[in-house]
Parts: sequence; structure tokens; C-alpha cells
Amino acid sequence: MRKDTGAQPGPIRTVLVANRGEIAVRIIRACREMGIASAAVYSDADRLAPHVIAADAAYRIGPAPASQSYLNIEAVLAAAKRAGADAIHPGYGFLSENAQFSRAAQDAGLIWIGPPSATQEALGDKLAARRAAGEAGVPVVPGLQVALQDDDLGAATAVGFPAMLKAAAGGGGRGMRRVEEAGELPAAMAAARREATSAFGDGTLYLERLIAPARHIEVQLLGDRGGALACLGERDCSVQRRHQKLVEETPSPAVTPEIREALFESARRVAGTVEFHNAATVEFLLDPEGNHYFLEMNTRLQVEHGVTELVTGLDLVAWQILIAGGASLDRSVLEATPRGQAIEVRVYAEDPYAGFAPVTGSVSCWRPSDGPGVRIDHALVEGVPLAVEYDPLLAKLMVHAADRPAAVRRLRRALDETLVGGLQTDLGFHRWLVEQPEFISGDYHTGLIPQRWAEGPEPSADEAALVALAAAEARRSSAGAMTPPPAARAGEGEWARRARQGALRQ
Amino acid sequence: MSALRTTVAGREVAAAEGWHLEWLDRGRGIAQLSDGSRSLQVHVEGSGTRWFVTLAGRRLEVVVESWRERTLAEAQLAAAATAGPVEIRATLPGLVVAVNVAVGSEVEEGEPLVTIEAMKMQNEVRAPRAGTIGLVAVSAGAAVAAGVVLLRLD
Repeated sequence: MRKDTGAQPGPIRTVLVANRGEIAVRIIRACREMGIASAAVYSDADRLAPHVIAADAAYRIGPAPASQSYLNIEAVLAAAKRAGADAIHPGYGFLSENAQFSRAAQDAGLIWIGPPSATQEALGDKLAARRAAGEAGVPVVPGLQVALQDDDLGAATAVGFPAMLKAAAGGGGRGMRRVEEAGELPAAMAAARREATSAFGDGTLYLERLIAPARHIEVQLLGDRGGALACLGERDCSVQRRHQKLVEETPSPAVTPEIREALFESARRVAGTVEFHNAATVEFLLDPEGNHYFLEMNTRLQVEHGVTELVTGLDLVAWQILIAGGASLDRSVLEATPRGQAIEVRVYAEDPYAGFAPVTGSVSCWRPSDGPGVRIDHALVEGVPLAVEYDPLLAKLMVHAADRPAAVRRLRRALDETLVGGLQTDLGFHRWLVEQPEFISGDYHTGLIPQRWAEGPEPSADEAALVALAAAEARRSSAGAMTPPPAARAGEGEWARRARQGALRQ
Repeated sequence: MSALRTTVAGREVAAAEGWHLEWLDRGRGIAQLSDGSRSLQVHVEGSGTRWFVTLAGRRLEVVVESWRERTLAEAQLAAAATAGPVEIRATLPGLVVAVNVAVGSEVEEGEPLVTIEAMKMQNEVRAPRAGTIGLVAVSAGAAVAAGVVLLRLD
């Protein structure tokens, strides 16, 4: 087995968290619980952001645009040096799958809380990973095993239509196009190639037969440096818009014990094609007959890791840090038995009534749910303008209950308790979702949003009458006192509070 | 201030009967609607005639007007209906990847004018009516916020 270059595993005293937002706060919390110091990095847009306040120390790494701050390898490594950090946690997104960064971090003597750089490189090429999985005896979606050339439409026709066009360097739905028939292919290829080149600097494309209807299922893995591997259940991520996840739950309502066994076997085989230690996820499509097909493997923490934590009781971030420091998986992981049902909905600054288009502005009021079985991971601050440079994820609302019907009821209650003012979010979609027969029964697939939601229903007569009443009564009760709208007042108050906090920290 | 007329999503709607609103946190816009047997949380913000109410995750604009305000607004609307220059604004924040027209270009209704990349997708901004481009305020490569003027159609 090839050894990592750079730092060997050892005790970790200070972790540099190379991320922002809710995931940075999440990692800092794990560090605190483990008695490890945490150092945050921040751009000019985030000087007093929650992750900066949560960390033991914080270092500026550049201006607001991610390319000059959170994606700036030199600036992040310089911050790690100033912080005296001995390890780096990349979170998800930003530099988390950048092999150049993980290699540079290790060359600088830091412990990389992630897989070996060579593994990142191998899995970053989705086409190569697809070939490797096929060779390891794992079912892959029928289609091309080699890059699709512009002039080779014969190979494409052999795949059959409808088909999915994908970028070899892809991820997060980018460079991905559904192609209905051969005639659409040249235009779709041009668009996907442009998108992939601009996002990843690599326009290599391949083609897979479309599996529809399908569910998107992923298996959570945790592996240590000694080769021990734990399968911590699956997550169902079938509620998607733009091929990006909105809702995740575990266990999947579609996965029987037989299917689960087959998925775990495939996940282990895929993991066996690379040298790997860390948290990782192997993603599959599941067709209505229960056949699964490998999609890709990600060797990093997933956005939706929290639902697995709720049902297993494990702290995946703490385990990532322990594994990086050389610890072996113990019985609590290897024999973990999931209990109950957990569901997560992602709260985005997006308008679900306008094609989930991004929304700008600031959250004037944030009142999260709480109470039994509710977990909310967020980094929201009232009155602070959302940074357009970064991901529009506002919060992750998770619920856990003894079984799925109870979890759906709990989610409905938690959504009713959650208030976001100041802008439209996708909470309106989630509130609709929990009333839909297919979601309640668990019988849904990746076509749910395009086929059943589209742009959402018109407001019902009752809904319109209630909001009319609320606005009229609000106006009546404010007559004579024409104060600025609550948004502006909350904003000033919050900035004043944060400015005070900032002064105290210096 | 009695006899307020309420318009939700462009349609005049009568306020629900038997319900009332109670502020829970006036400064932050948190209120409760109740009819004596059921209660719902809402977020309410705004002032004057323009309000926003978020109920069950959906944020709706509500215009609240007295009869007098309503009559005035209708008269203004009628006056503005005559054709004039139209400012074409970005509906999404994003990156301008292409500008297909220049000052003086004659365009047809529905013609793609500007391409904006947002949320990893390319979106066409189209001409709302036929006319002549009177102003081009952006160029390819510019980052724009939602609401920014891109072009003027004369």
C-alpha cells in the first residue's frame, strides 16, 4: 500500500477548518467536544460570520470571491501555518476534493483529514471510476466506458435514448444533460462541454442510458488506515432539482434487507478499488425492480451526513478526525445498528415557485424549530445580507423518530415551527412535500419535482384569505406608527450587535 | 382605517373571516393567526400599502389599500399604460456570458438579448416586446445582482 507523503498520523491538537457556513460550525463543534483547538478562515464577506465566532481563532484569507479566498490554496495554507495547526479539515465543496490542495497540505507537514491525494484524483475522474467499478464486478449504468467524441455519434446511438450526458470531471449536477433523442445530442454536448470546461477545466463527456424512474441511493462508509471498513446504512436522496439533492432520509423506504445487502457489497467493492481512509459515500441509482447501478464515490463529508448521525448515534466528523490521527474503528462503529428514521430538508434561499431560482437579500427573521427529535445545522444571522459569492444553503432541518410515519409527522411539525422572513425560501416546497401521498408512503423517485411540483400550485383560496387577513390586521395595528419595515430595523440592530462583538474580540 | 381592500398575487381577495392576528414579536414580524380553535405561525413585514406575509413557507405579497388609495393607484396605472421605454433588468444574480445586441439593434418580441449564467445554468433574457435597444448597460464578463438594469428597450 502506498504511504501518504508528508505528515504521518499522530495526535491532533489544532485543526484548521478550510470552509465557512454551517459545515465549518459543525466541524468546530466536533473539535470543541474532542478538546481540540479550532482555527477558522474567513473572507472579507465573513469577518463576523458564525464560524468565525465559533472558532478559537480566525484568520483572514482574502476578498469575498471564493476564488480569492476559500479556494486560494496558498492563503489557506498560510493561515494554517499562522494558526500552528497540525491538521486540515476541508468540509464539503470548496477545496475538499482538490488533490492539489491535499498534497500541498501534506507537503507542508499537515495531517489531511481526508483520503490520500491519489484516491481523490482517481475518483475525481468519474469515467475512470466507472470503469474501475465495472472491473470490480459492480453494476454500472449501461453506456459508454470511454469519452464521447463530437464526431462519434454511432457510439452514442448504440447507448440508446433517452440518455444522460455527463462530464467526467463533473459533480453537483454540473455538465449534466438529459438527452431525449439522437438529434438533440450535438447541441447538448456543446452546452455540457462548455459548462464542464468552465466549471472544472475539463470538457471530457460520456454517455449513460437514462434510468427512469429511479431513486438516488448512497451508502455511507467510514474506513480507517488499517483497512477496516464500516457501512453505516444508506441514504435516499431522490428528491432533487437540477440533479441536486433537496431532501435526504435514512433508511430508504425503497431498500429491502436484500437490496441493502447488495448495495453494501457493491459499496465495499468500489471502496476496494482505491486506497481509502476517511468518511466516504458511494452513490447508486436504484430502478423499480430493485437493481442498482454505481454512479460515483465521494471521499469527503457529505452535506447530508447528519441523518446518518441521528440514526447511528455516531459523530462522523469526530471519527474523520480520529481516523486521520491514526485511530482504528472500534465496535461502536463496526457494529453500529441504525435506529429509527431520520429525514433532512435543506433550506435554501431559492424560490420554488420560480424554478428554484436563487434569491438575494437578507433574512429579516429566523426562528428555527426545536423540541424532541429536531436538529438544525445552520449559520444564519438575521439582517446580514446573504453573500452571493457562496452556496445559497441557509440551514439543514433534520428530524429523527422511531419510525418513518412518526418522522414525517415530526418533520411537518418542525416545518410549521420554522419561520424565515425577509425572502422566499424552499420551505414552501417542503411544506407541500410532507402532504403528498407519494412522500408519505415513501414511494417517490427523482422525477418528483419536475413531474409533480413544476412551479408549485397557486395559493389556495384559504391561504390567500389568511395572508390577506394577516396583512390587513398588521396594517391596522401599525396605523399612526409608520415605522420602517421590520427588515430594516432588524438589520441595523444585528449589525450593531455584531460590530460590538467584533470590537470585543480585538 | 376600516374597509381595507386586499390584493394577493394580483387578485383581490377578501380577508378570512373569524380569524385574528396577534403579534408574538412585533419587532421581528412574528405573529400568530388564530380562529379560536386553530393557530398558525406567520411572518409579516411591510409598511403602508405593501406587505409580505409568509405562511407555511410561502411568502406572498399583499397590497392593503383603502378605497381612496385604490382609486388613486388605478388612475396612475391607466396613465402608465401608454408605451414608453422599458428597462430590462436581471431577474437572477449571475455572470453575463453574452450580450447579443448593441445600441440601435432592432429586436423582435421574445428575441434573446443577454445570456446570464446563474446557478450553474445559462439563462436567456428575452425582449418583452419589439423595439430598438436604447441603452446597453452591461458587457460579457460582468457580474450582476438581481434587479440591475441590463438594457433599455425604446
